Amino acid sequence: MSARPRIAVIQFPGSNCEYETARCLSDAGLEGYVRRWNTPASELESCDAFVLPGGFSFQDRIRAGAVAAKERVTDSVFEAACAGKPVLGICNGAQILVECGLVPGWECGRVEAALASNHIEGRTGYLSAWINVVPGPSASRSPWLGLASSAAIPLPIAHAEGRFMFSPDVDRARLDESLATGLVYADSSGAEATGYPDNPNGSFGALAGLLNPAGNVLAMMPHPERAFNLWQVPPALPGPWGDARRAAGREELRGNPGPGRVFFESLAAFLGVSR
Amino acid sequence: MQDISAELAEVLQSRGLSMTLEEAVKVASFVGRMPTPLELHLFDTMWSEHCSYKSSRKLLKTLPVSAPQVVLGPGEDAGIVEFAEHGGHLWDIVVAHESHNHPSQVLPVEGAATGVGGIVRDVYCMGARVIGVMDLLRFGPPASSSSRAVARGVVQGVWQYGNALGVPNLGGDTVFHEGYESNCLVNVVSVGLVRHDRIIHSFVPGAARGTPYVLVLVGKPTDATGFGGATFASADLDSDLGMGAVQVADPFLKRVVAEANARVLDMLFERGVDFGFKDLGAGGIACVSSEMASHGGMGIELWLDKVPVSVPDLPPEVVACAETQERFGLAVPQDIAYEVVQIYNEEFELPRLYPGAGASIIGRFTSDRTYLVLHGGREVACAPVEAITEGIRHDREACPIESDVSEPSSRPVDPPSDLSSMALSPSGVSRSPLYSFYDSEVQAATHLRPGEADSVVVVPIPGCSAGLAVSGDGNPFYGELDPYLGGAHAVAEAFRNVVATGAVPLCATDCLNYGSPENPEVFWQFSRGVEGIADACRALALAGGEALPIVSGNVSFYNQSRDGAAIPPSPIVAVFGRLDDFTRARDISLKRAGDLIVLVGERRDELGGGLYYRECLGHRGGAVPSFRGGEELAMARLVLDWIGRDIVRASHDISEGGLAFAAMEMAFASGPHNGLGVRLDIACDPVLLYSETPGYLLEVGPDDLPALAGLAAPVRVIGEVVPAFSISGNGWELNLRELCEQWRDRLAAMVWREE
Repeated sequence: MSARPRIAVIQFPGSNCEYETARCLSDAGLEGYVRRWNTPASELESCDAFVLPGGFSFQDRIRAGAVAAKERVTDSVFEAACAGKPVLGICNGAQILVECGLVPGWECGRVEAALASNHIEGRTGYLSAWINVVPGPSASRSPWLGLASSAAIPLPIAHAEGRFMFSPDVDRARLDESLATGLVYADSSGAEATGYPDNPNGSFGALAGLLNPAGNVLAMMPHPERAFNLWQVPPALPGPWGDARRAAGREELRGNPGPGRVFFESLAAFLGVSR
Repeated sequence: MQDISAELAEVLQSRGLSMTLEEAVKVASFVGRMPTPLELHLFDTMWSEHCSYKSSRKLLKTLPVSAPQVVLGPGEDAGIVEFAEHGGHLWDIVVAHESHNHPSQVLPVEGAATGVGGIVRDVYCMGARVIGVMDLLRFGPPASSSSRAVARGVVQGVWQYGNALGVPNLGGDTVFHEGYESNCLVNVVSVGLVRHDRIIHSFVPGAARGTPYVLVLVGKPTDATGFGGATFASADLDSDLGMGAVQVADPFLKRVVAEANARVLDMLFERGVDFGFKDLGAGGIACVSSEMASHGGMGIELWLDKVPVSVPDLPPEVVACAETQERFGLAVPQDIAYEVVQIYNEEFELPRLYPGAGASIIGRFTSDRTYLVLHGGREVACAPVEAITEGIRHDREACPIESDVSEPSSRPVDPPSDLSSMALSPSGVSRSPLYSFYDSEVQAATHLRPGEADSVVVVPIPGCSAGLAVSGDGNPFYGELDPYLGGAHAVAEAFRNVVATGAVPLCATDCLNYGSPENPEVFWQFSRGVEGIADACRALALAGGEALPIVSGNVSFYNQSRDGAAIPPSPIVAVFGRLDDFTRARDISLKRAGDLIVLVGERRDELGGGLYYRECLGHRGGAVPSFRGGEELAMARLVLDWIGRDIVRASHDISEGGLAFAAMEMAFASGPHNGLGVRLDIACDPVLLYSETPGYLLEVGPDDLPALAGLAAPVRVIGEVVPAFSISGNGWELNLRELCEQWRDRLAAMVWREE
């Protein structure tokens, strides 16, 4: 049997989702392993893909993701992304990808988007909640979304700055045409969100995830690694995934996949791992 | 020695020390001369109520602390119990519980954040990975703008710290009561997981008698923050100590230090080296160095000039006693210390990530039992080390007080209106607006989140089916009417929450929050609370042994307002339970129309302190539900038996608001989209509907109901799950659609209305 594809999960100072993210990659048939921010570039060259995990890298100094985007290790990730290797940024990882100009990447390396403070009804600040997303048009070309259907994918969010913003001349049509629309907030039936709480943070165009033009880089605010298994789904969740959770017997609850697994299994399929 | 009394009195005054003159004279006799400033500050901290338990220690000895599953009881930074076997290893859970009440009242954001930061250090330093925190909060009524501001700040502090650290919030509870208007309570609980063969103790190991050992200080550079913090925590808020005594927390640095610690611990275990590890909390370097030495049977020579500081020219007593956050102390052999320092400073680049942070060697352990501190080539402290850590005792007087046991003159019942009032009261509304600030799912081990079940359930060991259930409780409305029952029910309620989820309670922790122990009436409340906790723990041994053991805890005195009024007696207890198989865990949401609603437990006329009296009748007296250990245990056994037989589809304990309120909460939890409700087939009677006599409601399939005759606990079918989002009874019905929305959002409007 050939060696499993190796996926580096980059640990920045202040990352805090690196271990469970690496575990999901391994459980999806890949080899996920955590690499510290000062790992020499030469050690990362053999990786087949990268994940920038959630957390609070560098204490969110200046802006979330801004300092990590300037780290040497991020240069390695940047080069790999430009060479076509799959790169996923989750939550703080998405903020880093935005800050280093990989997404939307219309002019690669130029910062063309921002993740601003949540707009929530009734209060400000951090929000933890389960929301739904659906893949954008032609998002299936992305190695991270190849196996996703158009049905709603319920996932948890946990962030204070997750509202995608662009310059005033950018509209949703531009995002769709440039294939930047990776994930869109939706209701539990899969219809695109029209406002709070389905769009939980006031994100422009209900955007939950942003792709680069080639589709190999995905920056997403929700946390798929926290929804890898069915037992992680809330018991009273509306929609088909909630129904599946409620109908599950004990063995199904223990072993069945959750809605977030599709991101990791899509990558595994893309890298030729058969399950 | 008498000559120096006057001089001591003057120094106590000018330095703002809180020890009595009598205590200061005792310090002088220990050192045999006029004490140095550092010695006075050191003893002031170590002999404070917060560190020495000088008023409470005698009574705390009456709490049951042992059981077969206990690995380590109270005494070190955290308690440890056996949890599960997996992958050829035995895994234990590590639990700690503390208060950060005074700092949170003065600076709510920083106070609460430091509370979380402090409690996780206690668990980290036993060698564990921290897998969760809980916060148990008590605020003044949300109608008061100052209480709202404190509540918002505390919640902000909790989320800012815990979320950034990457430790899931496992819930807790929040109570509003006018007695906390000028003295909020912020109790924090932390739980961790450690391999049994990798537990680390918080003192210098015996090996140090043969080989030279040094003390490595790790973390944030020392500043003046928190100087006098422990003393502050032991003083009432009327004193002029204040904001300078509150520490400043930094979860970012903590996260990086925790990662580096894990690497250092791996290295030390691989080398087979004995070492000690302790966090710096109250009393800073002075406390960690004296306790690590004393509890290991040694002395220490401390070099204050080697301590990295972020503020120049700090006096030695500040460097030694400041409570700068995010620091740990390691006792390691001298010949490996440099490698340890390198991991922190080079591999993990602490000095680059945070100016002045890092690891340094700041002293050496000595075989005599002297505590010696050097600074600028001078001795600035020299005392027998046991004198510092053994502390002192005070015997306090207790004087009983009467409470209001009067019952209301009439008890009208109108369920739709009663249930609506209770549901929208500060005690009854959903806590979900508060939970929405907390990250409960980081680490990806969370199975049942806060609000979904009576306790939060995590699956902490990947690949192992063991589930950990946690819950914390304490009801001040009971405590103020009966301090004994306040203690007993704090244990029983948390116990029931864990049982209702399907877990067997393994151990408990407590934090005893009271007014001044110098007030005999308060001290009586305290002693009755401890008795209540001890009796309840002895009655509720389910995991084997003779009691539910209390393995860690804390006492917080001097919680009182400026005019000296004490808070209501507020013992708060957390219980930790184990599910052999997490897939058996039950949440509270209704599952299927046609299922039966089964009541476990008698209903008795004991509504005092309850939600119905308070919110529907405006009555604050009455008889509080009794604690009946035998019944409580029999009910728990029955619930666990039925859950173990897979016949329970939803499970909820009966507490505030009684049976009817519990049934309504089960409908709320299933949500409007599932269209399920409850029909209660019982009389419209205040005792049946609203009594808070302990019990459980279970949802059971109609074909699954076992024979009810001959059971050890009283069980009867009292209703049915109906295909409508409503609750109804004999001649009444309440549609829940609109009420649920208000119930879900109301707390946000109450507390965050300024935003």
